[in-house]
Amino acid sequence: MSNKVVPITIIAGFLGTGKTSLLNHLLAHAEGRRLTALVNDFGALNIDSELIAAQNGNQISLANGCVCCSIGDDLTLALAQVMNQTPRPDHILIEASGVADPARIAGFAQVDRELRLDGIITLVDALAHQRHANDPHLADNYQRQIAAGHFLLLSKTDLASAAQTHSVSQQLAAQKPTTPIAIIEHGVFDAKVLLGLNETGLLPAQAEIKHDLRQWSAHMTAPVPRLDLLNSLSTLAPHLLRAKAVLHDAEGAYVLHYAGGQSSVSPFDASPSGHFVLIGKPDMPDDASLEQLLTPQAPLPAHRQTEARQ
Amino acid sequence: MSLIFAAKSIITMNPSQARATHMAVRDGHILAVGDASHIAQWRQAWGDMPIDESLSDKILMPGFVEGHTHMMEGLFWNYDYVGYYDREGPDGNVIAGLKSIDDVVARLSQINQQRDDKTQPLIAWGFDPIFFDGRRMNTADLDKVSTDCPVIVLHASLHILNTNSLVIEQAGVTPGDNNEAVRRDENGHPSGEFLGQLGMYMAMRTTGLDLLGAAGSAQTLINFANVARQTGVTTATDLANPVPVEAVQTMRDTVSQDSFPMRLVVAFQGGGADPQAGIARIQELQSQQTDKLRFSLVKFVADGSIQGFSARLKFPGYFNGADNGLWYIEPDRLKALISAYHAAGIQIHIHTNGDECTDVALDAIEAALRENPWPDHRHTLQHCQMANRAQFKRMAKLGVGVNLFSNHLYYWGDAHINITMGPERAARLDDAGGALAENVPVAIHSDAPVTALAPLFTAWCAVNRVSSKGVKLGGETEKLTVEQALYAITMGAAYSLHMDHEIGSLEVGKRADVAILEADPLQVEAAHLKDIAVYGTILGGKVHVNKRGAK
Ligand SMILES: [Zn+2]
Repeated sequence: MSNKVVPITIIAGFLGTGKTSLLNHLLAHAEGRRLTALVNDFGALNIDSELIAAQNGNQISLANGCVCCSIGDDLTLALAQVMNQTPRPDHILIEASGVADPARIAGFAQVDRELRLDGIITLVDALAHQRHANDPHLADNYQRQIAAGHFLLLSKTDLASAAQTHSVSQQLAAQKPTTPIAIIEHGVFDAKVLLGLNETGLLPAQAEIKHDLRQWSAHMTAPVPRLDLLNSLSTLAPHLLRAKAVLHDAEGAYVLHYAGGQSSVSPFDASPSGHFVLIGKPDMPDDASLEQLLTPQAPLPAHRQTEARQ
Repeated sequence: MSLIFAAKSIITMNPSQARATHMAVRDGHILAVGDASHIAQWRQAWGDMPIDESLSDKILMPGFVEGHTHMMEGLFWNYDYVGYYDREGPDGNVIAGLKSIDDVVARLSQINQQRDDKTQPLIAWGFDPIFFDGRRMNTADLDKVSTDCPVIVLHASLHILNTNSLVIEQAGVTPGDNNEAVRRDENGHPSGEFLGQLGMYMAMRTTGLDLLGAAGSAQTLINFANVARQTGVTTATDLANPVPVEAVQTMRDTVSQDSFPMRLVVAFQGGGADPQAGIARIQELQSQQTDKLRFSLVKFVADGSIQGFSARLKFPGYFNGADNGLWYIEPDRLKALISAYHAAGIQIHIHTNGDECTDVALDAIEAALRENPWPDHRHTLQHCQMANRAQFKRMAKLGVGVNLFSNHLYYWGDAHINITMGPERAARLDDAGGALAENVPVAIHSDAPVTALAPLFTAWCAVNRVSSKGVKLGGETEKLTVEQALYAITMGAAYSLHMDHEIGSLEVGKRADVAILEADPLQVEAAHLKDIAVYGTILGGKVHVNKRGAK
């Protein structure tokens, strides 16, 4: 049995908030990752038939190596089957049902060392926010989904007024001050942010960071104590969306994944590359501040690059 | 082929002829019901018929109808039974109950010793800690069975399972602070007990097996029917089943066999995104029905369970302050689904456990009835455990029936009093007396394999309303009389399945489906209702004798 640890991303949100559009986007922009998406309803995905390589029963294989599986009535079974398969996918996406509690789904990663919870993405419909927040039967579910989210993505902002969008985003920020909140348009959001950076921690050479996001990266050969790093990163919330570092400290080499406020650190069993990449919102502190924060003691990073693009 | 059965007494459930001693049967149907003095007249009218005297010391009742069970009941017989009570397997052999955790460990150790390959997973089922006075099974217990293979013990409720420490090591359990699905010992380490889906997931991951994978096989069906038959059941339900195309042929081939001793009503598992596809599927299935296999209804599961804190409760919510439960279907979507299936004329059964969920289901049915009046729809709320009088009144007005989960009173009654809903609401848990008083059609069920499949036990629960610790829940107002309880497990359930014109009572023209009992349930003390032995059943005139009954 392969021992590859598979990151898992849960996409939560009420019916009609755009989970399917986001899934479609991620499947189409997998950038070489073999994603497996566990979805509630194939029909809704509406996958372009030219992209379908094979279909049997509750599984559709796409030409780019991604797979969609229908959850049917049993997420437990669907997930166990994917994890019992060889080879395993590079990343698992779970489309939570509109009334699921994503925190409960995240519990699977706590009883399987070969699963790593990468993050919970909660979609919030900017237009329907007030209605959902006041729904007599669903308000508590709604709050649970928001509370569990590591990324809150505001959808339908093109239909809402600017004031409406601003107000929803303010309310969410007040409720979850350290969670990044961003606008998602027509299901399009940078896959590198939502699914993480590739295995070496480097972005592909041609990678472009979109949506007013900023990237900062460094190459650090000096030891960086992992707890110090975690502390520093936590001060960057909610501006920091995603980070990955392959570094070392007195305990040895480690890899750190950070996604929307939640981080995981695990031992790295090869020589550490010293790569360190952050992706944040435009309001992330400037490069000089980041450098000071993240590399507090000399020597300065041997090599660093920063970029900010539209 | 005609035959007269002579019995000690026949409880007919036909109000115009409550008792009889003789029943004539032809071609699977009841030809005549009466006593010895009628036989000459019957023979004159219907021709000569032999008398079968083999049941002349037995009590006959209409075959029991179980309106809410799952075919999965038949699945677990692939694994080793370690329950508290003696249990008759589908082969008729009795497996002795185990009266302590040490007994369970000893049984499993013995099974392990006798195996050739001791590295294969060892899986057992039916374990029920409610009988062991607070002591919970832990990894130390199951490590005595083996540390070389995964050992997994499924609890009777199916909501919980225990593992040995090998499973925990292999899985790499690292529970977060508030993961209630992982029980911990006093040192904060996983105790080996896992709740809900997480436990099942671990079991499937560490064994590489789909533990529920044989759910639709012919053997599962046969096991299910035989287990049900041994308790006097002649019609049971699978509530519900997605009924994939390949499953239908297996069902038809298996159920149609003469040796298959039961009628099976399969509810289509609704809830999918496209109700029109579901409706078309049911209509297609209905064209393939037989007298023993029906696809007459659709089922939706709208919330979770009370003891799992996933049922949707109204104010003031859970007694222990737990967060409100989960919708399994959004209220708006439930409304749309009910509207669509109702418009298509398909009977709907809805799982609603909490009282908030019951409200939402009734709102949806009321809306559907405004769109499309249908006086005799017989939509039924399944479980509906927390319904109050206002909700029962509303159900009566809307023509909605209820199938109450009376076994809960026994299995989880103590938890309901102390933890989930507190004494007042627990007193009217599964309020069958209240439902009848408000003129709601009532059935009662086991939800097997969640609790034991045995309609006389379910009737006992509804009559005595006593928890496993011996605590009473409610009293005269909420309980059923024995007569009412016997009605609920025959005519009541038959009505809920739209089959009361065919089964549920022993009267002329109906199917000759009979439960054969060793004692008269209307003569024994109510406290002993559950102890009445079942000798066998008659299905469509054919006698099936239990192995125990035969000796
Ligand atoms: Zn059930």
